[in-house]
Amino acid sequence: MKLSFSPEDEQFRVEVAQWLQQNLTGEFEKLKFRGGPGDEHMFPHERQRWEQKLAEGGWTCIGWPQECGGRGCSIEQQVIFNEEYARAGAPGRAGHIGEGLAGPTIIAFGSDAQKQKYLPGIVAGTELWCQGYSEPGAGSDLANVKTRARFDEAKGKWLINGQKVWTSLAHESDYCFVIARTDPDSVAHKGLGFFLVKMAQPGVEVRGIQQITGTSEFNEVFFDNAECDAEDIVGEPGDGWKVAMGLLGFERGVSTLGQQMQFQNELNAVIREARANGADHNPVIRQRIARAHAELKIMRYNSMRMLSGQGGSDGSLQKEALIYKLFWATWHRSLGELAMDVLGPDSQILEDGPYQLTRLQSMYLFVRSDTIYGGTNEIQRNIIAERGLGMPKEPKVAVQ
Amino acid sequence: MDFTFTEDQLLFCDSVKNFLQAEITPESLRASWDTDTGRSDELWQTIVELGLTAMLVPEAQGGLGMNELDFILLAQECGRVALAEALVETALVATPLLSALVDKDPRCASLLEKIASGEIRVAVGHPANELVSDAHVADWLLLPSGDQIHLLARDQVKLVTQHSVDPSRRLFTVEWKATDETCLAGGPEGVQLLAASLNRGALGCAAQLVGLAEAMVSLTVDYTADRHQFGKAIGTNQALKHHMANCAVKSEFAKAPLYRAAYTLSKAPQNADFAVSHAKVAAGEAALLAAKNAIQSFGAMGYTWECDLHIFMKRAWALDKFWGHTGFHKNRLHQWLMNPNAKIGADKTFGIQG
Repeated sequence: MKLSFSPEDEQFRVEVAQWLQQNLTGEFEKLKFRGGPGDEHMFPHERQRWEQKLAEGGWTCIGWPQECGGRGCSIEQQVIFNEEYARAGAPGRAGHIGEGLAGPTIIAFGSDAQKQKYLPGIVAGTELWCQGYSEPGAGSDLANVKTRARFDEAKGKWLINGQKVWTSLAHESDYCFVIARTDPDSVAHKGLGFFLVKMAQPGVEVRGIQQITGTSEFNEVFFDNAECDAEDIVGEPGDGWKVAMGLLGFERGVSTLGQQMQFQNELNAVIREARANGADHNPVIRQRIARAHAELKIMRYNSMRMLSGQGGSDGSLQKEALIYKLFWATWHRSLGELAMDVLGPDSQILEDGPYQLTRLQSMYLFVRSDTIYGGTNEIQRNIIAERGLGMPKEPKVAVQ
Repeated sequence: MDFTFTEDQLLFCDSVKNFLQAEITPESLRASWDTDTGRSDELWQTIVELGLTAMLVPEAQGGLGMNELDFILLAQECGRVALAEALVETALVATPLLSALVDKDPRCASLLEKIASGEIRVAVGHPANELVSDAHVADWLLLPSGDQIHLLARDQVKLVTQHSVDPSRRLFTVEWKATDETCLAGGPEGVQLLAASLNRGALGCAAQLVGLAEAMVSLTVDYTADRHQFGKAIGTNQALKHHMANCAVKSEFAKAPLYRAAYTLSKAPQNADFAVSHAKVAAGEAALLAAKNAIQSFGAMGYTWECDLHIFMKRAWALDKFWGHTGFHKNRLHQWLMNPNAKIGADKTFGIQG
């Protein structure tokens, strides 16, 4: 075990910090501390320009292999990058779905042609991605997708029909990765395909979903004979579930590091409010702040431990990764509650009409979705019990 | 000893419950968000015709001369439908405050008569809240200044809108000037009246919070019976059943201290601090847990504006912070308990306090 960084890594830290200091200025100044979870509707175009600025400096996809356009950074360097990025208050990454999910999936499971076609746009920050998994009837039961993909011999293309829902940032995206049923007679996780679908086409319609925050980051996406080129299926028809599960592994990997720094910024904001309004003298609030701090540290340690072990190269998870979603989501929800209790009655007053939330109110409402999306707390507990502890699965009801 | 409600109290509550559930729906609440006042004069007149604003008005002023215990179940029903109109504050706070001053100042008797008949509405300010709710539809305002309570007409004050996280709530900062003429009471009497108002306001919040908690559980139970995943209703999963069971325990257990507090306020209001704080803390915890577990059980649907759940969640989050937040009331409990003269023990269960 070694819990310090090498001199080379510390030099890398200086390099990152300097670049951010020199470039997060001018038109990007207003993006500081913006665009994180619950705030992703803010400044989408400016944030995409920032994405391209990062790309110019070689700061996108830093963990990807160099032959895929990445920087080939070590885990330590990725940790450092994320720390410095958050410390500088650099904005939520508009390209995070491409960099963190679509790209790694294409690198692990995609063809050479797919790598050449899609990776450069992600690295350059010019092409944004969204994730077409959930459907009205396939939430926790993700394998119950009804969206169909049929290969049209005459056109030589896949035709996709169905509906996805809760698709974050679909309205800003150029591409969507979609799980759809390639075998119409199949059930559950068999007979699925994983498709790379262009959003700007007549067969794709995006409708925003208004959230309790009054804003819209999520969407419904309707596919009506949407076309997908024959070569844009990842793996073979029937491999969709395997690819999708591999991707979920990436979701719980390095991307957690940036998230924790975001959490740290939020906790700092809560502490600032407590100091400003005197809530920091309340012993109950003090205890809860201390607990929040201690638990955030635990998350950070657990991530380091998880990443040092590295898991399977296909994105499969180790035991300590299984507990992470449940832990961070519940922690974040409690942070929202703490923020409102620190603010007291002021917590109920909007920044402005008609429905402009303060940052902490927005955080409080948004964290309600944390324990739901990406596998609810209840599903996480099932996973921990069944895969982590080896407890017996509930008998499945026969699906007609 | 009898810790139950009378037949009459229960029957009256039932009829009011039916009325509220027919009139106040998520659709009607949503429609009100887009109106200027967010309030319906027509609805208020119906509330008046049912005698609800007159319940705690003394008989001498044309009221029904009832008490907090008679009203507490109705307040719970107001919460259950997330009623936006300020009925609970009118009945439980404004009316008793004016009644206490009826012999001292002739204006109070006149106001009480007009509250009962529906001619006017009265809003109440209190140091615990900073903001005054529904001041925009009030003809008169009762406002605190130090140890004094003042009465001002709406055209004597300036209202500054404060937008609320709960779109149904209408909150205002009130700018005004205290004069000898506007002063109704002050000194030790003013202090005592303000303290009583705080307890009545907190009691009204607690009752609504219990109603809100039950409403959220009911919505969730229905949803989890309809929503299917893995080929079965999601409500069959133990994980979700346990969420709802935990809520049911909390809200059912909040009712006992709630009714106890209403009883004490009606019989010995000077001794009600402990009972009221206990009710507010228990009801707040029940409502907050119901909100947390309901949205969790609804999954992503519960996070949308379209789903009715947020109407109830946002009201619960707001009322938990109104008329003294949980921390304030917990501190009152601690302070009372740590007092060396505190009357605690099994034989004191239904004593003056505790």
